[in-house]
Amino acid sequence: MTVFVGCLLIFLLLAGRLVYLMVGCSDYYSEEARRLHERERSIKAARGRIIDANGVVLADNKTVCTVSVIHNQIEDKEAVIQVLCEKLNLEEEYVRKRVEKYTAIERIKSNVDKETGDAIRELKLPGVKVDEDYKRYYPYDSLASKVLGFTGGDNQGIVGLEVKYEEYLKGTEGTILTVTDAKGIEIDTAGENRIEPVSGGDLHISLDMNIQKYATQLAMQAMETKQAESVSILVMNPKNGEILAMVNVPEFNLNDPFTLPGDADTSGMSEKEKQDALNRMWRNGCINDTYEPGSTFKVITAAAGLEAGVVTTEDTFSCPGYVMVEDRRIRCHKAGGHGTENFVQATMNSCNPAFVTVGLRIGAERYYDYFQKFGLLSKTNIDLPGEAGTIMHKKENIGMVELATMSFGQSFQITPIQLATTISSIINGGDRVTPHFGTYVTSPDGEVIQKFEYPVKEHIVSEETSETMRYMLEQVVENGGGQKAYIEGYRIGGKTATSQTLPRGSGRYIASFCGFAPADDPQVLAIAIIHTPQGVYYGGQIAAPVVRQLFENILPYLEEMDYN
Amino acid sequence: MPGARSRKKKQSEYFFDYSLLFIVLFLIGFGLIMIYSTSSYEAKLEYDDAAFYLKKQAFASALGLVMMFVVAQIPYHFWERFATLGYIVSAILILLVQTGLGRESHGARRWLNLGGISLQPAEIAKLGMILFLASLVCKMGRSIRSMKGFMTVLLVPAPICLMVWKITDNMSSAIIIFGIAALMLFVASPDYKKFVLITMAGIAVAALVVFVISKQEMGSGTLDFRGERILAWLDPEAYASGKGFQTLQALYAIGSGGIFGKGLGQSMQKLGFLPEAQNDMIFSIICEELGLFGAIAIILMFVLLIWRLMVIANNASDLFGALLVVGVLGHFAIQVILNIAVVTNTIPNTGISLPFISYGGSSVMFLLVEIGLVLSVARGIRLKEY
Repeated sequence: MTVFVGCLLIFLLLAGRLVYLMVGCSDYYSEEARRLHERERSIKAARGRIIDANGVVLADNKTVCTVSVIHNQIEDKEAVIQVLCEKLNLEEEYVRKRVEKYTAIERIKSNVDKETGDAIRELKLPGVKVDEDYKRYYPYDSLASKVLGFTGGDNQGIVGLEVKYEEYLKGTEGTILTVTDAKGIEIDTAGENRIEPVSGGDLHISLDMNIQKYATQLAMQAMETKQAESVSILVMNPKNGEILAMVNVPEFNLNDPFTLPGDADTSGMSEKEKQDALNRMWRNGCINDTYEPGSTFKVITAAAGLEAGVVTTEDTFSCPGYVMVEDRRIRCHKAGGHGTENFVQATMNSCNPAFVTVGLRIGAERYYDYFQKFGLLSKTNIDLPGEAGTIMHKKENIGMVELATMSFGQSFQITPIQLATTISSIINGGDRVTPHFGTYVTSPDGEVIQKFEYPVKEHIVSEETSETMRYMLEQVVENGGGQKAYIEGYRIGGKTATSQTLPRGSGRYIASFCGFAPADDPQVLAIAIIHTPQGVYYGGQIAAPVVRQLFENILPYLEEMDYN
Repeated sequence: MPGARSRKKKQSEYFFDYSLLFIVLFLIGFGLIMIYSTSSYEAKLEYDDAAFYLKKQAFASALGLVMMFVVAQIPYHFWERFATLGYIVSAILILLVQTGLGRESHGARRWLNLGGISLQPAEIAKLGMILFLASLVCKMGRSIRSMKGFMTVLLVPAPICLMVWKITDNMSSAIIIFGIAALMLFVASPDYKKFVLITMAGIAVAALVVFVISKQEMGSGTLDFRGERILAWLDPEAYASGKGFQTLQALYAIGSGGIFGKGLGQSMQKLGFLPEAQNDMIFSIICEELGLFGAIAIILMFVLLIWRLMVIANNASDLFGALLVVGVLGHFAIQVILNIAVVTNTIPNTGISLPFISYGGSSVMFLLVEIGLVLSVARGIRLKEY
């Protein structure tokens, strides 16, 4: 009897344990078990498109296939390996490793052409799964490649706008949950649990495909005729900072971004060298690289001088061909000197001694403060990744010589976008704008879900200074060093620059020109920068004509666009 | 059970315990259903025959039932003369496992191949021990109450236990055999003091072992598989891919059953997730498919079985018969308790099957022979005296 009661007690304890497990912990274990039994497959969300100012799609999606193997369902391993190697052009070792790996589902290759995927599916090999999804596709191949950027194998943005606007473009992945047995075989009766993917939003940008195309042509042409290393052209609206075109030739093919330019020999390169070469190819010179702006920067010195009241347009300067600063003799580009000239003429002549004088009048401290006020010390905050900052002297280190060289755009470095933005702000009436591409995002059904606002810092210069600057820069094009940018019937303002690349004396130059139109009410501003041209290297000679050709075409076009 | 009582009145002289028979038949029938439910999916995949395990088990059960009825017809005193022989044969069979006749399965050498039939000597040893101890205690008479007698009964099964443990590497069977012996001794000599002492000593040793092993975990990684089993018992999820795997899968099965279960045949865990689902772990599938309700019902069936055995033991016509029944009772009770305790992770994982329900041909046959013995003892109950 005792034995029986003892047994009964133990059974009661065990029953209690069962109640605890099956009632108390039921939820926990059920959930764990469900997770064990369900296999999750994700459904890619369609990535949002990138659309230009006129509604032209610059980045689109096309259907591609992902080929995977389900280890436990494979019947003829060798046949699977052979077929996959053949159809997908893969190394046997690579495929074998994945086919033999013991996992529920192993991806062999994504972004496979639809035709290839269909062909593999047709073979009906057990254990091989072909899923359709989307691949990024760029209809214009290399157009604006360094702006748009591209996506990686998982459809995530890697560089350019694709990565900057990732959160809007990517959408939300969906999932298919299927119940499987321990070997990963789906159980038909259990059905599947599907969560639909949400497509990404379409990004609308200010870039105009027509302007971008034409600017690209001009840049290519300039690069070829001048045997230059690279040419950048930047076109923006100085009033609101919208960028209409950003060209950096050579561009690269967005549909094949991992292939180095045609003749590059990659065989002898290590992985790292290859990656470095790719990174160089993807670099957007307008924002990722800094340079000494040279004479175009005289626009800023002039504006600071006018603001500070240390110079007027009537002030006269005398240029003997050099200027002495402390014990240093700084030469003017015109060996004989410009003689006596007023400030407008000095600007037209791009006379270094005159601007050194203005810079010295402003003084190091004030000059630095203007530098800061104009926004040159901070980034422009353009909506592209990797913007380079300004490389500048420390305030306390600016002596007379440094101040003098800064006055005509040397001894510090800024990015082209920084220069374009600052000049835009000086000529647009004095409001510092934020350069940008993104304007708004629409949902797949066309509804605007996000409008982008960009900060504007008002009155970095007064309206009078701005007007004076517009007048002086128009004079530069009409009668001064920028004459090659003159177009009959249009009022164009601008400034040329010829800067040396460091180290000095290497014989490598950067020719540039920054122009805007109409001069009295600027609607468009363009910068052309030619890196390391052969032969004639003066900005006024080779860069100004590029901007002229650009304006000849786009000014009528923009007028026409406005009428619409 | 009023039914049994009324039947007793109608019958004269002979008593056949139908209640016990029906309980056993129910358990076997239920076991067959559960074996089919748990094994059909894998049997279909592996042997292309969903009823593969069911057929084998049904055949063994039928054979076992025949043996049960035969044994039930033989007066149990017939076996008394084989008691010592049984002890010796058990020992020899265990030793044979190490010879060419032994067979390895699941990484342990526990089986004997005798003319196409494979059986575990440990099963024979259990039966042999019950018989031997019953006969021994009868012979000892009153001297069992002395300390010497007490120690004798306790020490006699020790060699067999040690052999089962060390030679066939089967600690669970060794524990069961020792448990049977202890229970029989307790019934023959109900000296509470000693047993309380033994029980407490046992608990103390177990606690110490657990403590030492969990301490050792911090020190070195050199633990044998039993040590690791204990760690896995304490935290199955930390050993999810190793020793804790089976336990954790069993817990998933039990936990996902809930109160009323997923319904017969609806288990997910049997689809290859839970190893040995139709075997030692069948109770967890019962929990998953039939819920707490079904699990308690099965436990109640075993309680009824034990109750019936107790009634028979109490009414047996002599001490030998009573002790035989007690031995069988101990065997069933210990095995059921340990199995459910293992499945619910109440004690560390060790391979013990659930009587009559788990898959295993030789096991069910021996169990039915034991029931046959009990029925034989029950037949000896003289109703007139009762």
